[in-house]
Amino acid sequence: MEALGLRDDMAADKSALAAHNSLQLIAFSIGEQTYGVEITTVREIRAWNGATPLPNTREFVRGVINLRGTIVPIFDLRARFGDGQTSPTKNHVVVVMSVGDKWVGILVDAVSDILTVSRDDIHNVPEGNSIDTELLNGIVTHDSRMVGLIDLHAVVSGAKMDG
Amino acid sequence: MSDLDDFKATYFDECSELLTELEEQFAAIEAGERDADRLNAVFRAIHSVKGGAGAFGFSALVGFAHAYETLLDYVRDGRIEMTDDVVTLCIRANDIVADHVKAAQTGEALPADYGMEEKERFDALARGERAGSDDEASGEPMEEFDIDFVPVMVNLEASEDVPEADADDAFETLPMQPEPGHWEVRFTPHRALYARANDPLLLFRELAALGEMSVRAIVEDIPPLSDFEPFAVYCSWEITLVSPSLTEAAIREVFEFVDGDCDIAIAQLGLTAPFEIPAPALVVEPAAPARLPEPKAEAPVDLLQLADDEVSDLLAFKRDPETAPPIVAAEPEPIAADAQDTFDEPPALSFADLAASIVPAPKPAPVAAAAPVRAAPANTAAAEGEDHGGKHSVGVQSIRVDLDKVDRVVNMVSELVITQSMLTQQMDENLRARYTELVRGLEVLAQTTRGLQDSVMAIRAQPVKSVFSRMPRLVRELASKTGKKIKLETIGENTEIDKTVIEQLSDPLTHMIRNSADHGIESPEKRLAAGKPEVGTVRLSAEQAGGNILIIVEDDGGGINRERVLQVARDKGVVAPDVNPTDEQIDQLIFAPGFSTASEVSDISGRGVGMDVVLSNIKKIGGSVHVRSWTGKGTRMTLRLPLTLAVLDVMLVKVGDSPYVVPLSSIVETMQCSGATFERVPSGGQVLQVRGEYVQVIDVAQRFAMHSTKAADERFVVLCESEGSHKVALVVDDIIGQQQVVIKSLEENFEQVEGIAGGTILGDGNVALIVDVQGLKSTIVHKNAA
Amino acid sequence: MRVLTVDDSRTILAMLHHTLSNAGFEVLQAEDGQQGLDVLKQEQVDVVITDINMPVMDGIEFIKHVRATGQHQSLPILILTTETSQDKRDQGKAAGGTGWIVKPFDPEKLISVIHRVVH
Repeated sequence: MEALGLRDDMAADKSALAAHNSLQLIAFSIGEQTYGVEITTVREIRAWNGATPLPNTREFVRGVINLRGTIVPIFDLRARFGDGQTSPTKNHVVVVMSVGDKWVGILVDAVSDILTVSRDDIHNVPEGNSIDTELLNGIVTHDSRMVGLIDLHAVVSGAKMDG
Repeated sequence: MSDLDDFKATYFDECSELLTELEEQFAAIEAGERDADRLNAVFRAIHSVKGGAGAFGFSALVGFAHAYETLLDYVRDGRIEMTDDVVTLCIRANDIVADHVKAAQTGEALPADYGMEEKERFDALARGERAGSDDEASGEPMEEFDIDFVPVMVNLEASEDVPEADADDAFETLPMQPEPGHWEVRFTPHRALYARANDPLLLFRELAALGEMSVRAIVEDIPPLSDFEPFAVYCSWEITLVSPSLTEAAIREVFEFVDGDCDIAIAQLGLTAPFEIPAPALVVEPAAPARLPEPKAEAPVDLLQLADDEVSDLLAFKRDPETAPPIVAAEPEPIAADAQDTFDEPPALSFADLAASIVPAPKPAPVAAAAPVRAAPANTAAAEGEDHGGKHSVGVQSIRVDLDKVDRVVNMVSELVITQSMLTQQMDENLRARYTELVRGLEVLAQTTRGLQDSVMAIRAQPVKSVFSRMPRLVRELASKTGKKIKLETIGENTEIDKTVIEQLSDPLTHMIRNSADHGIESPEKRLAAGKPEVGTVRLSAEQAGGNILIIVEDDGGGINRERVLQVARDKGVVAPDVNPTDEQIDQLIFAPGFSTASEVSDISGRGVGMDVVLSNIKKIGGSVHVRSWTGKGTRMTLRLPLTLAVLDVMLVKVGDSPYVVPLSSIVETMQCSGATFERVPSGGQVLQVRGEYVQVIDVAQRFAMHSTKAADERFVVLCESEGSHKVALVVDDIIGQQQVVIKSLEENFEQVEGIAGGTILGDGNVALIVDVQGLKSTIVHKNAA
Repeated sequence: MRVLTVDDSRTILAMLHHTLSNAGFEVLQAEDGQQGLDVLKQEQVDVVITDINMPVMDGIEFIKHVRATGQHQSLPILILTTETSQDKRDQGKAAGGTGWIVKPFDPEKLISVIHRVVH
């Protein structure tokens, strides 16, 4: 019973923490991997419907789409992580996000969940895999899944051929 | 946005127009045209800048503008001669005014002594003038202009006594202490009072507001009817006023506007003096004898009425100031109730306070009251014309419209044009044969839409003058920084382009002129040594050429140092070591990204951005740039710009599975590959032979790394030519047709892409990319060999 | 009551319009003396407020022309001036101006001056 009481206290602490120390993520998957971005950056989620290819750009730039009259570039996250281009179908998903004052779309396999995590639970990306350290802000564990926090600025940079 | 912000926005708009006008006027004045009209226009411009600045309390600007205005006033009435030195000083002063305006607009403070030196020179000029003048007082206005003066609009002193005193001085000498008592006023109007539409009745009304009043008309001088001069003035009045706190100044203020047009004698009586004062007790100034009437004056009509009926009314005017609101009750017009509210407010010193404090009229004023900025007189008049029979046009027929509104129309018309061209595309041969009426209707629609589009774009067109006029100052500054002598000539500044294009023009032009002044024009010594005139010339011109505008920046300097440029380009990897570009190709290199002849970059052209900014800005608006240089003789840079940004005429083509569009303005002709003559050149490249001319071939699919879906023979050639350079043949997979598109930026959400000038959205919602013909061609220099 | 405002400065015209229409006046506008005369040819107004320094036809000429027209001899004309010196006012008055308003004008004072010269 005492142990239960203790847990209640912890729960209370947690919800207090949640108010200012938690983070809501949109989680999406590429193959077996789960990644997340802060929910506040997400503008829209839409099904893949093709894109006009952009010449003279790296392979992870899948092209541009028309989003209500403005032209938005689409980044293939799988290709960005160096795993080759996605072969998208109607079941693939584009997550439209704002990065600074620009809007970009990220092509992923599926959107899985909305997660609430504590900032305290975010760990640094282990050294070693250079592409991961370049593109992730951190790693967080949720329901025993490892979720990589996407660094959007890093993902969209270096899109040009020579860049 | 508050009203005040609206007014400020109006003011800054107006200032920018006025500053533009100043530049123009002084360009002519500098060239020796120093006639009165120009000097007056210059004076008015500064006067208007000052007037508005005063309303918003921009005191630094007012102070400087006032001193400058005074100088200009002296110049235009000939008291100061417009020598070349004075012209130079004035041009410098214009720049300072512009800086003050900018500071006021951005809220950034200028150094306290900014422009002081010039102001002192104005003063010195004026003082020099005063020394030689017998008119002592005329030098007066050179004093510091005090913007914070209380907006009292009266010089309460009788002007005969202190004719030269300015309002401030007069204000200080006023007897402000309340002196309770009875006052007696003898008032004898002259004919001039009526001729200026002043009216004794109104004066009495105002006096009645000061205290308990009684008026006695002195009608003894009215002659028998046989001797009556209809326009002569025969009546005068004696007024007594009783109020505990009345001052002579307050009484005199009532007569402010008629000062000099009447005789007034004011005397204070003892507190216990009887109400009726015998005339001899008055100090009566000699009344002017009734002068010969001028035939047109209608004043005596009033006078006669007064002499008859209204005298008694006037006597009844006596009222208790406690119970009867003064002016208001006597004036039962609808305005009164509202006006009174404002009278009850504490005195507002600035327009800002007042904008908030004035109570809106309960019923909207019938005309234009809701118009945000202003209605031109002609329109107001037209709106008013109903009950007034005559509806002839008056004044300039123009209105000012919020740019947002115009932009909305332009955007909607653009969409309409696109929709219309989509509809036209849907018509296949089958449909055409079946629905001839529909087809005819669509043709009319197309025509009307085109006409509508042209008309709308004409509304937004503006002379390039607004950008050109900023350049003289730039050249002056560049000349003084580099120690070179440079003269700017402008041609065709009334050429009109879409306002949105003009807005994009300022930075590129600034860069190009900087480049000319910095790298083009040589030092005076070098020029003289080369047998050139000491003063270098930069010529800026604009002209319309078909659907484009050409803007040309030319200088008579040394021309591009090609050896150096090529060296730098090789060092920076812009040009591969084994490529030998032609002279013309080298010239274009100055616009290449990453190229800037850094070692030579001074603090003027510097700032880390080179001419590549020019190219990217111009491309963004669908234009192109071309440079041509003659060693020792000069350089010419030509910008070709679309007349409008709203809609681009394009040819829709396919490369692989992707749609691309090529601006129609750069297309010379199209042909099927099967009918074209290709040849190989030794380097391995392909050329096309067209009417004896060899044209470089670019396979777009190959260049863009797309998979061509067609056999070589089934593909098409699009022969293009952009500004001033050689033709190029683009090979594409398919030609779909002509249409109009709205340009969309790629950079808004992405970045510039080589070979692509932008994007557009097709009728089916897909994005098509706009081929950057010039870009494709210029990349050859360093891409082919790399 | 209808007021004709004549000034080449948009800012001043806008401010006059704001102040006067809020006070219940009907406001007509002209940008120089000539336009002012054109308006007066067609429109009945109760009072005129005019700037002095204007292109095409300045305020002084404008007032002279107005006064020379039979029907406008008793039309009150107020001169709008930034000059604190007396001479502009005197010139305006000599031409037939009824009174004056000094810029920057205080809106309350503007209204009260108008009431001073209009029935």
